[in-house]
This record gives sequence, C-alpha cells and structure tokens, in this order.
Amino acid sequence: MKDTTPPPAIITLDDVHKYYGDYHALRGISAEIRQGEFFSLLGPSGCGKTTLLRAIAGFEDISSGHIQLNGRNMEGVPPNKRPTNMVFQSYAIFPHLSVAQNVAFGLRRTSMSGDEKKRAVAEALEMVGLKDYGRRAAHALSGGQRQRVALARALILKPKVLLLDEPLSALDKKMREQMQVELIKLQREVGITFILVTHDQEEALVMSDRIAVMFEGEIAQLDDPELLYRRPNSRRVAEFIGMMNFLPADVISVSDGRAEVEVAGLGRAELDAAQCPGGAIVGAARIGLRPESLTILFEGQSPEGGRSAEGVVEEVVYYGDMTYYDVLIDGAPNKVSVSMRNMPGRRVLERGAPAHLAWDPRAMVLFS
Amino acid sequence: MRGGGLKVYAILYLAFLYAPIVLLPLFAFNDGTVIAFPLQGFTLEWFAALLDTPALHEATLNSLIIAVSVAILATSLGLFAARAATRYKFPGKPGILGFIMLPLVLPEVIVAISLLAVLMQLGLDSGLWTIILGHSLLCMPFSIAILQGSFANMDQSLEEAAIDLGETPLSTFRLVTFPLVLPGIIASLLICFTISLDEFIIAFFLSGNEPTLPVYLWGQLRFPARLPVVMALGTILVTLSVLLLVVAEFFRRRGLKRAGLEDTGGFL
Ligand SMILES: Nc1ncnc2c1ncn2[C@@H]1O[C@H](COP(=O)(O)OP(=O)(O)OP(=O)(O)O)[C@@H](O)[C@H]1O
Ligand SMILES: [Mg+2]
Repeated sequence: MKDTTPPPAIITLDDVHKYYGDYHALRGISAEIRQGEFFSLLGPSGCGKTTLLRAIAGFEDISSGHIQLNGRNMEGVPPNKRPTNMVFQSYAIFPHLSVAQNVAFGLRRTSMSGDEKKRAVAEALEMVGLKDYGRRAAHALSGGQRQRVALARALILKPKVLLLDEPLSALDKKMREQMQVELIKLQREVGITFILVTHDQEEALVMSDRIAVMFEGEIAQLDDPELLYRRPNSRRVAEFIGMMNFLPADVISVSDGRAEVEVAGLGRAELDAAQCPGGAIVGAARIGLRPESLTILFEGQSPEGGRSAEGVVEEVVYYGDMTYYDVLIDGAPNKVSVSMRNMPGRRVLERGAPAHLAWDPRAMVLFS
Repeated sequence: MRGGGLKVYAILYLAFLYAPIVLLPLFAFNDGTVIAFPLQGFTLEWFAALLDTPALHEATLNSLIIAVSVAILATSLGLFAARAATRYKFPGKPGILGFIMLPLVLPEVIVAISLLAVLMQLGLDSGLWTIILGHSLLCMPFSIAILQGSFANMDQSLEEAAIDLGETPLSTFRLVTFPLVLPGIIASLLICFTISLDEFIIAFFLSGNEPTLPVYLWGQLRFPARLPVVMALGTILVTLSVLLLVVAEFFRRRGLKRAGLEDTGGFL
C-alpha cells in the first residue's frame, strides 16, 4: 500500500503580513510547504506572489507573522544565511564573469578544494544541459541558456528550497514548454523543494504537486492541481483556473450537506457535499460546469443516465485537436462553452445547427 | 536643397568653436614673439622655455595635486550619492539631489566668492586644500551623473543574487557592484581630473600664493613676450584634456558593452 501521510513541512508560514507603507501587500498568509514538493504560487499580477517569495528568501522583512524554514524561525536571518536559493526573473547572471564562474559563485564560501569545485561546476552544468559552455562569456548567452545557468548556479549549493520567480516568462512558447518538462525532471532528480511563482495557470497545473492560488495578498485556495481544477472553492478561483461555465440555479433543499438544485436549462441535479465547497443554502445560487463536462451528442448517441438538453450552436472555434462551441441551451439565460475532441468520423457542427447536449451532475460545482 | 542651410550653419558653428583652439598650436610652433600672421617659421623654442621656468613647474605640481585629490574625492562622494539615488527611496530625495546638482548651473564666480567669504569668516587661510574643496563641489554633479548611469544600467537583482549565494553586502560590493561600475568610476575620475585641471575662477579666488596652472597662465598674459610660451603650454593642456576625455568615454562605452547594454548618450 502507498504511504499516504504527507512528508513533513519544510516551510511553515504563519499569518504572514506585509505592508509597504499603507499598502497591505500580504494579508495573513498561512500555509505549509512540504519537503520535496513542487509548490506553486499562482495569481494575477500584483497579488503579492513575488513579495511572498522574497519574504521567504529574506529580501523583504515581514510586518508580522512567522516564517519557519527547516524548523527554524527566520526572523532576522539575512538572505545569505538562509537555506534557500533563488532563480531571479531576470536570471541575474553576472555579466562580467564566465558561465563557469557564475555557476561557481556560491562555492566561494564553502570549504571545497579547487578540484572539487571544478567537478561540482561541471556536474551542475551537465545537469542543466550546458556541458561545454563553462568558458563562454555569460553576457553572450540566449534567454534559455541564461535560465539554465541561473538554475545550475542556484542548485550547486544544494539548498533546502529553490525559489523561482516566473523563471519561464521571458522565454518563447516552445522553449517554455520544453523548460517546464525539464524543470519537473530536474526537481524529481534533485529532490529539492521548489517554490515557483507564476501567473500562468496552465504552467502551474502542469508542473506542481500543489498550488496556492492568491488574490490580493491572500491565499484563496491551496490544493493539488486536480482538486483545484475539479473543485474550485470560489467563483473567482474557478474563473482563474481554466474555463468555467456558470448557470443560474435554485437550491431547493439541503440535507446532510447534499443539495438538490434546479439548474436553468438543464434541470434537476443532486450534488454531494464535496461539490458545494462554500456550503449550500436554500435559494438562488450558481453552478459551475467545465466545457469538457458538457458533450454534444451525435446521431444515434444517447446520454448516459438520460440527462440531456437541447440548444443552438452560436459560435464555433476550431483548434485542430479540439472544437469549442458556444451553445445557447433552451431555457438558459446565457451561452455555455462546450469543448469536443475532434475524432475520425465526428463532424464539426456549423453555426446555427441544433445541438443535443448530454451533461453530468457529478461534474457540477455549486457557488453561492 | 533642404538641409543645406543647416550644413552651412553647422560648419560655421564648428569653425567658431574650434578655430581659436587651432590657432593655439599654430603660434606655439611659430618662430616669432608677436602673435600675428604671417607665420615666421617653425620652432620648438617656446616648448623648451617651458622646461626652465621653475614657477611653472610649481604651478603644474599644484594643479596635479589638486586635480588628483579632486578626482578621488568627488568620485568617492559621487559613488555614495549615485548609489543612494538609484537604489533607495528616502524623504526629500529629489530636493537633495537637486541641491547636489546645483553647482552645474550656478555661476562659478558666485560659488568662488561665497567660498572665499566663508573661509575669511572662519579665519582660515586659503591654500591647495581650499581649491580641492571648491573643485570637488564643482565636479560632484558630473561624477554623480556618470555614476548614476552606471548604477541604473546595473540590474538590481545582480546584487541580490550575490547575497542569495552567500556573500555579505560588503563582499557583494567588491565582487559584483564594483567591477560592474568600475568603467563609470574610471570615467568619473578622468573627467573630474580634467575639469579641475582646467578650472580658473575658483582657483583664482582661492589659490592665495599657490597658483594653479591656469592661474599661472593668466598671470603670464601680462608679459607680451611670454605669450608664445603660454601658447605652447595651452597646446599641451588642450591635447591632454582631449586625450583624457577620449579615454574616459572609452571606459564608459566598454562598461556598457560589458553589461550588454545599448548606448544612450554620454559626453562624447
Ligand atoms: N517595494 C515596494 N514598495 C511598494 N509597493 C510594492 C513594493 N513591491 C511591491 N509592491 C506592491 O505590492 C503588490 C504586490 O507586488 P508583487 O510584486 O508581490 O506582485 P506579484 O504578484 O509578484 O505581481 P507580478 O505578477 O506583476 O509580478 C503590488 O501592488 C506592488 O505594487
Ligand atoms: Mg512578481
């Protein structure tokens, strides 16, 4: 049987507040970051991700609260004495040094001999795929190469925690996707806790073991990617992670946390407690439904469980592997988005075509 | 043709600016005691005369001592000011910086007279050190302007990265900040040196009985027979100044290139 107890916390954030003058940038952040996990801080621009990361690294003093790192309170501990290393957004490669000198920079204060240092640098460079680049001038590297040098430079010190502030945002799409995969592999290899700051929800979903979604200096939800996507605890989180359809609904009755709802255009559904993250109260509410949990039925198909609805295709967006339809369901006040995988023998509907939809109440989330 | 008028204007302007300077070497090598055309022939006599004028040597030594001290003092102070200006926010920052940059636009005579008045009030003797202080005041704005550029061009996270990798603030300055702003420091040293070497008004007011080179030169103008010698000295000074400026600009540009940045202006 798999051991399900989570590994111990390497970082404990306890009611962390940060003020810049009057501006309340961090508003009571509490969280535990576990040993060896790939943790992401996800949120829109200005929500305080960088501030929190810099507070962990020691570059920002916090106004109140506690940060524990590896069992030690970090109050008053300067960045150079913390067991963290950082990959800066600009990479911060020293332009006057060679690649090898950059990577070896952190070893200056260690007791390693010259030979050991050389070996460590060679290993670190090989790890990030820059084996023969040691003698290059750092200012002559491409964006992706700088990023790798920054990684090697930070990892050579074997920190307890590696902090990455939007490390991929300066790269083009192809390079970014490649580096995402490499970063995941690297993290598994070295077993170091990674904390990644990003405003790209897809990046966070792809890379992380757990994600903290932040809005305005607060953590709105902290969960693993699947739960975050399947069971967002608020409309705001739901809208920030992926695409979510909302339909008005009436909560008819609530018992034992289970809610009986009447959804506009779809009909009756029974939701269990997990589907009501904010709780359920009788009265007007909204349900959320992901585009992929609605299905357009083609001739001869019938909905499993017999849940179906009729509507009209109002817009078609073709992506190659997928087609996104905007469908106005009879009896619903707003359009919903439906995504369908394009498969052999499955034709793409045209605008104005009638749509026969199947839906599944298990995919619904209730928001008050 | 459009732009033709502009071209003529530019040529006239340059002629007006540089023709007098071209006259300097012309008469410095001219074999005649009168500064007038036609030229008499080539001679090195005036340069030779420079060599056996002890008062001149003393003035030169004074000027060098002052210029070197000013370069070091103004650049060191400029280093602190420029760093503070680019890295920190503090109350009254624009006002304070404005005050530091003020000598750039203040008439030098006023600065000189005020300094003299202060010295006399304090009952202090003027001497080399008073000129050093006056010149430093004058050079600080230039030093700050150059160094501010160097600091602004430097990514702030470079210093943070060094600290993050275990260095102390002090060793970070030595290992990262200093090498990256070094070209700016050299440029500032050279420009301050040049400004101080050429400066007349403050030196004249504050020199007492220890003349600097420009003050000595001015004194020599009273003797028409010495004029060609003055021309010779002027030639040397101009050459030296231009040389120093070029070297300063070279270092400034090299600094930019090392940091991998675009050139956005400068003194040359
Ligand atoms: N040094 C500072 N002084 C004053 N306000 C600051 C300072 N640093 C950050 N802030 C403010 O704090 C808020 C959070 O900033 P932070 O850099 O943490 O945002 P972020 O989530 O990293 O955003 P982004 O995705 O744009 O990087 C912002 O509103 C910002 O303006
Ligand atoms: Mg940020």
